Amino acid sequence: MNQYTRMIVVLVAISLAAGALLAFSYEVTNPKIQEQAQQALEQAVMKVIPGAEKMTTVEKEGMTLYIGTDNQGNKKGIAFKTTGSGFSGPIEIMVGYNPKEGKLTGIEILSMSETPGLGARIKEPAFTDQFKGKSVKDDFIPKKDVKVITGATISPAAVSKAIKSSLATVTKIYPVGGDF
Amino acid sequence: MVKDFVNGLWGENPIFRAVIGICSALAVTTAGQNGIAMGLALTFVLTCSSILVSILKNIIPSKVRIPCYIIVIATFTTIVDLFMKAYFPALYQVMGIFIPLIVVNCIVLWRAEGFASKMSLIRSIADALGMGLGYAWAITLISIVREILGSGTLFGIHIMGANFTHWVIMLLPPGAFLVMGILVGIMNMITRKPVKNTHCH
Repeated sequence: MNQYTRMIVVLVAISLAAGALLAFSYEVTNPKIQEQAQQALEQAVMKVIPGAEKMTTVEKEGMTLYIGTDNQGNKKGIAFKTTGSGFSGPIEIMVGYNPKEGKLTGIEILSMSETPGLGARIKEPAFTDQFKGKSVKDDFIPKKDVKVITGATISPAAVSKAIKSSLATVTKIYPVGGDF
Repeated sequence: MVKDFVNGLWGENPIFRAVIGICSALAVTTAGQNGIAMGLALTFVLTCSSILVSILKNIIPSKVRIPCYIIVIATFTTIVDLFMKAYFPALYQVMGIFIPLIVVNCIVLWRAEGFASKMSLIRSIADALGMGLGYAWAITLISIVREILGSGTLFGIHIMGANFTHWVIMLLPPGAFLVMGILVGIMNMITRKPVKNTHCH
């Protein structure tokens, strides 16, 4: 075998072996990964809709909405994901909304990469709790009707803006006072 | 063999001596458990890669050796990545992007090219374990210092009083450089040989 054929044969063999090994580990781990992602999603939905025990997923006008129900099947609220652009990357937020009352039922920061100790404090209940019971007709303007965090201007503004802009779409699908 | 193992732990410690592969070492070291997890992930990839490279050293033609090493390293890194995502999702959330980056961590290629491709299997394993654990203890130490000063906790347990002011800078990138620099300095102080007065002219 001359050296060129040898090079090709060795590279192909190593690549094939690597591919097979990866396919195998993917098969083993994939169900578990999907399950973990689903669990994390459900946990976030339950957190932003108080009283919800189960959830159903609906797709409407390009948005994925999660409807939370309690054990008797009573609808407790709607949850949806929205993304804001923070100081150092996207901020993923889960928002809970109750159309009957026209109020938010809570928010949860799913992922963010803001500055620790400053912007990262948007994750703390001191900041997120203020959105509980907030009317969706509010302006969501920092320092006006949203409490801000000292030393962090951009992160709270990004959260408020992301919620407000996604609410514009969601309240069209589920108008305030209407059923859901 | 023992010498090869200790070499990585101390003499040629990748972080404090060779100062190689410090990108991840600076980025993930904000909490003690991140340091341990990252260290173990790298040790696994490094050991598996070194074993394979050492076994295949006479089969791999020298002209295509680098692509071969990279395929081997990338395969093991992806396996760690998948298993971590499946079984340690909380940890994966914190250090997600730094796990795939093990592929381009110079320590792994450095040991594959510089050691495993020339030495016997046993010596390669000893070297890889030494280097991996050397990396692990080094970044765990950096993590512990940063976690105590930055968050007042040690492996998530509060150890500083309630009135402790958090040194936020320790959790930011500059804090990583400060801690690492000071630790490298301390390490040099410990190992520095006394200068002999040679009377040179």
